[in-house]
Order: sequence, then C-alpha cells, then structure tokens
Amino acid sequence: MTDLTSLSIAELRDGFRSGEFTAREIAEQYNSAVASARALNAYTVETPEDAIAAAEAADKARGSGGLGSLAGIPLGIKDLFATRGVDTTAGSRILQDFKPRYESTVTANLRNAGAGMLGKLNMDEFAMGSSNETSAYGPVISPWRRKDGGNAPLAPGGSSGGSSTAVSAGIAPGATGTDTGGSIRQPAAFTGICGIKPTYGRCSRWGIVSFASSLDQAGPMARTVRDCAILLEAMAGFDPKDSTSLDLPVPKWEAGLSSDLKGKRVGIPKEYRIDGVPADINALWDRGIEWLRDAGAEIVEISLPHTKYALPTYYIIAPAEASSNLARYDGVRYGLREEGVKTLDDMYAATRAAGFGAEVKRRIMIGTYVLSAGFYDAYFTKAQKVRSLIKRDFEQAFDKCDLILTPTAPSAAFALGDKSADPIAMYLNDVFAVPASLAGLPAMSVPGGLDGDGLPLGLQVIGRELDEQGVLNAGLAIEERAGFTAKPKRWW
Amino acid sequence: LTAVVPNTLRLRDDQVTDGGCREDILANAPVAEHGFFAVPKVIE
Repeated sequence: MTDLTSLSIAELRDGFRSGEFTAREIAEQYNSAVASARALNAYTVETPEDAIAAAEAADKARGSGGLGSLAGIPLGIKDLFATRGVDTTAGSRILQDFKPRYESTVTANLRNAGAGMLGKLNMDEFAMGSSNETSAYGPVISPWRRKDGGNAPLAPGGSSGGSSTAVSAGIAPGATGTDTGGSIRQPAAFTGICGIKPTYGRCSRWGIVSFASSLDQAGPMARTVRDCAILLEAMAGFDPKDSTSLDLPVPKWEAGLSSDLKGKRVGIPKEYRIDGVPADINALWDRGIEWLRDAGAEIVEISLPHTKYALPTYYIIAPAEASSNLARYDGVRYGLREEGVKTLDDMYAATRAAGFGAEVKRRIMIGTYVLSAGFYDAYFTKAQKVRSLIKRDFEQAFDKCDLILTPTAPSAAFALGDKSADPIAMYLNDVFAVPASLAGLPAMSVPGGLDGDGLPLGLQVIGRELDEQGVLNAGLAIEERAGFTAKPKRWW
Repeated sequence: LTAVVPNTLRLRDDQVTDGGCREDILANAPVAEHGFFAVPKVIE
C-alpha cells in the first residue's frame, strides 16, 4: 500500500478519481497519522469520524459523476473557523467547550466541494502571536529541528502554527489558515510549505472568530503552489453574510497556473534590505531574483518609502479592532463564566481576567488606550492615515512592476521561549508580512531553501489587488526552480 | 481610509432572514433560564 500521506492534494484527487485508491483509504491513513503525531500538539480536536463520513460520501459519489473539486480530500481546519457541533475555541480558555450551532462560510464551501475534516488545529490565542506560544492548549512544536545535534523544540510560526505543522509533518494534506498580519505566510515559511493570503474580501469572514476585522483574511496552507490554488478556489467566493465580501466570480486559479513570467516586471523593494537579517535570508532573496529572471521576468528596483511605519501602524490598528471585537466575551452568551462573584460587573471582570491570556490582555489594553477619547486622534486616526500612505506606496510601486518579491520573515524558525518574554522582538518577526496585510493585497510564501542550520526559509510574492493568479504563477516559478524537497526528519 | 479594497455596501430587500432559533442561541450559554440568558441579579 502506498503512503498516501506523502502525496499532494492534486495527486490524491487524481488518484482517487482514477480509482487507484479510495477516499476511505486516504482518510484512514491520515486519521492514523494524526493519532500517531500527538507529540506535536498540532490538533486540539481530532474528528476521524468526520473525515471517514466525507470519504464514504466521496466513494459513493464516484462513478455517478458530479464530484466536488475536493472530493476525497481530508483537511485540517484552524480552530478559528466555526465548525458545527465541534469545539471552536480560537486557542482561548474563554471559548472553552464552545460548540457552534453553525458552520463558517469557508468551511461550508470546503465541505460542499467534498472535503472532510481531520480535526481542529491549534493556534495562537485569538490569532495573536507569531510562535503559537500564546495558545491555551500550549504551543505546537515544529516538526523541524536544527541540525546542530541539540533537540531544542522550535516554533512552527504563528498564528496558524497548528496548520503549518500539520501540513509539513504529513498529518494533513492541506489546512485552512487565517492571516491578519502574516499568520499564514510566516508559519508557512518556518515549516517549508506554501501559504497564500488572498485579496481582502475574497474569502468570507462569516463564522471566523474575529481578531481585526479590516485585516483578517482566510487562506490555504499546503505543500505545493498547485494545492494552494485548488484549495483557494474552493474557499473563496461571494457571501452576502459578510458585508466586506467581494461580489466577484472566483477565477479558475489552478487552470490558469503558468510559470512563464515573460512580460512580467518584478519589483524588489529596497526598504526590505534591513539590518540584522541573517545573510542566509538575503542570499536566498538574491537567488529568488535570479529564479524569476530565469522564468522570463524583468527585475526592477522599487521603493515603498513608508515600510518602516508599517509595524507601528499595524500594532495600533489591529489591537484597536481587537479590543472592540473581543468585548463580546462577557460570560453571558457563550464560553467561560467565572462563578462565585456577587454582581454582574464582577462577573464580567472575573470572566475576562480568567479567560484571556497575557498577550490577548496586552492587546486589548493597547487597543482600548489608542481608542480612548483623549488619544483617539493621536493614535488611531493617525494610524489610519499612515495606512493610506502604505497602501499608496504599493499603488505607486505597481505602476513600475506587476509583482513584488521579498523574504517572508526576517529569521528562520526560532526556539520556543526565545522571544516570548519580549513582545517587541516577537512583533518584529512580521516586519515583511504586515505591509501587504495593511494594503489588503494578495501575498504568498513559497519555500526557497534551507539555512545553515537546516531550517526552511520562505520567499514572499506580493501582487496587485485581485491578482492571486500572478502571485501563484510567480510562486510556481520559484517552486520549480528552488527544487525544495526537504522534509523534517521524524522524531515524534 | 474607509475600505482597504474598494467595495460598496449592498442594499437588500427589507425581509427577515434569520430568527426562530432560540435553542441554538441559548445552547452555548453558561446559564440559561426560562428561555433567556441568566446573569447575576442586577436590581436589588
């Protein structure tokens, strides 16, 4: 029996359709892979029966035609997506035991396409973090290890760290992620997989636990660029239940894949050459430039002058929106309630004190401060203005180029505990990812190679609004030339 | 900045699209009584 967990989603789909193996065999192999990898702490809930049920439906439907695009494919679902009847906690104690009575639009789309669910994937609490250490379930451990002989457990990136670990460890062929300021791309880079955040509005936010609503966007994480295209096609689409959803048809991204970049201009932003970035990362960036040139693209230098303000702007806007969004957790309608206090006000305070972790509290306080009457204009209004300037930087850059190439993150995976004591050091890890989030642009991370320690490094492609196809195509050109086949050596 | 990607707010017919699902709404409440959310006593 072939090891089905080593195949890509495209290979699983094609093999299932041609009758090489059944959907049930795929689901069973993945279910046992999931059960044998609990040391990674990637799944918060396992739902083997869900994967089997979807597989049986797919096996029954085969032959009768009308198969969904993901029929027979089991997926991991980030715990931020509401799943009917299955715990949805956003990695927080305050949502413990919350079982939604509804299904998020994105997961409903995946189910309609025939996908099953292997389980819910661990994540930073409310998607606030870059290492997965803020989860109430404890951190996910990356399957990767440095080749220095030490066994230091490494961060899988965050906030979609359960997703990145599951895909790179072969316990999910693909997973959903969400990206507010890099939460798909940075974990993808840390674990040597692909991940794309589409244009803001492509995927419905309905049923996704809110962090910062003007930034949150769902996207797929998978082992290949093609798999990302397949998943994104199934996830995206107009949804009347989300007022920021874009009423546009979903392009056929997979059919449109082409690594021929003739006539495309790729911009290299000079502001992304920052101090303190390891030489390995800048060297990979230079190789990426050569790969895209080899694919037919013309390379141009561009400037994004407000880049240095992106991180401070993000850390005003995102906490401000979070402090407002998280006001709903009051112990009345769902989630945790602290008993044993007399008054309603005390109950609110005790519940929130017990339910939220330290990083979430920090961001609620920052957000409440920047929105307070005396400081609103100085911080929040100012940050919105700077956000417009950052967006304009990209608009002007796209007069000169069609795509932008940068590193995904300023470091390879760091060890658990390395940055958790210093929030600023943690925030800096998203320095290359945040600008595209603030501008709502599609952006993708593709693995490019290994650093001196044997850890994966990613390259980021940023595209124009709605140009996911251009981003995926450049990603494919990198993937074909990088020849990245490294896999973590099994220790778990 | 009003919207990061230009978009217009849509109008829809003024019709009820949701409701009649009290049990679903109360299903996750820490405490529910008589078909309502229950909270510590507010009025002395």
